[in-house]
Amino acid sequence: MEKFKNTKELLSNWPLHITCFVIVIICECIGIIKIPVGNSSIMLLPMLFAMVIGMIVYISKPFTWINSKCDKTSSKFVVIGVSLLIAKMGITSGASIQSVIKAGPALIFQEFGNLGTIFFALPIALLFGFKRESIGLTYSIAREPNVAVIANEYTLDSPEGRGVMITYTVGTLIGTIFVGLLASILAMTPLHPYAIAMACGVGSGSMMAASSGTLIALFPNMADQISAYAATSNILSNIDGVVMAVVISIPLTNFLYKHWEPIIGKRKKNKSENN
Amino acid sequence: MAKAKEKLTSDTFLEFTLVLLITAVICLIGNLIYAWAAARGAGPVDWAANFVQSVPGLLILCGISWVGLVMGAAIPGPVPSIIWITVIGIVLSVPGMPTSKYVIDSTSKIALLATCTPVLAYAGVSMGKDWAEFKKIGWRGVLVSGLVMFGTFFGSAIVAEIILKIQGII
Repeated sequence: MEKFKNTKELLSNWPLHITCFVIVIICECIGIIKIPVGNSSIMLLPMLFAMVIGMIVYISKPFTWINSKCDKTSSKFVVIGVSLLIAKMGITSGASIQSVIKAGPALIFQEFGNLGTIFFALPIALLFGFKRESIGLTYSIAREPNVAVIANEYTLDSPEGRGVMITYTVGTLIGTIFVGLLASILAMTPLHPYAIAMACGVGSGSMMAASSGTLIALFPNMADQISAYAATSNILSNIDGVVMAVVISIPLTNFLYKHWEPIIGKRKKNKSENN
Repeated sequence: MAKAKEKLTSDTFLEFTLVLLITAVICLIGNLIYAWAAARGAGPVDWAANFVQSVPGLLILCGISWVGLVMGAAIPGPVPSIIWITVIGIVLSVPGMPTSKYVIDSTSKIALLATCTPVLAYAGVSMGKDWAEFKKIGWRGVLVSGLVMFGTFFGSAIVAEIILKIQGII
């Protein structure tokens, strides 16, 4: 293997770094955009603009220097770069360790709240005519560990595997913006910001950034608590994710599928969505 | 995806270091502009002082991240580096630790939101390659995926709300 291959590739992608630098400068200059709705607001954060501009730069033609050669480097920056955010949130958690410990039971039990999505989304998937795809589609929020579990049990070429890849791809592309907006919307309900903060940890690092960032922008005086709860919830999801998938969520989804599919999916022909 | 742990070579060390430093530099400037944008209209901003105050915090964040990344790669077993990074962050800042005050004070100069923007700019670029795959997914797939995300988020928030109420925290 060539010596320092990764490092060389990283440095040879300097136009990518300059581009991202410029994107960040532009987005921070724009700042947070508040759209007042009722007595609350929808918050549009600079990080969301940055993501959208990054994608536009990749897809659109004039930016010839951003192309498939950047794929590896940019995903490395997502995986490694998110460490700074995780470290910052770790420090906030440490500083508010007492409130984290006090809220321990809520943090642990909310992990089971994630299962609620199966009862809610599986019937709709069946109604739309998905067959075994619906298992992978609805059993989880489909971040990397969840995809890995399905790949292990069913392989990714199976209907279950195709299903999980749909949720994975949609989550990657619109999930971050979606949960960012969702945090704004749930903040208008009677739900307490702390409870929403714990929900912010359910998905990927970017999802957590967008949703907890939105909450912090809405409730700046609770910033430390929000970030501590979101970070702890995210860590718990990381710890229990695989075990929960294997022991509870996949068997549960299969069980419900067996009972509901004959009723709901009865008149529908098998329609593969991913054609 | 289940990633086999990457072998630790001098290349990996250098890569971790460079990625963190590049992200930190972008973050440093972003953080300065963030402070300026947040204080818009509230008088002049002392850019030089903000710059000097941001550096130690960012170096601490980089240091924690670097150690966590190396631990994640070096220690066998399924523990990912983000857990190491969180644990180190907690240990350094927990009340009673001699490092606590300094770590909390210096990193408080870095806005959480400003640490996210560079990562998501890169994430946007890396999402570009998934765009073709995304376009192939029909509206039903997109809708169900959206419902799954909503259900997971909402389910978790509802349970947290109930337990926090029972505990009397909220």
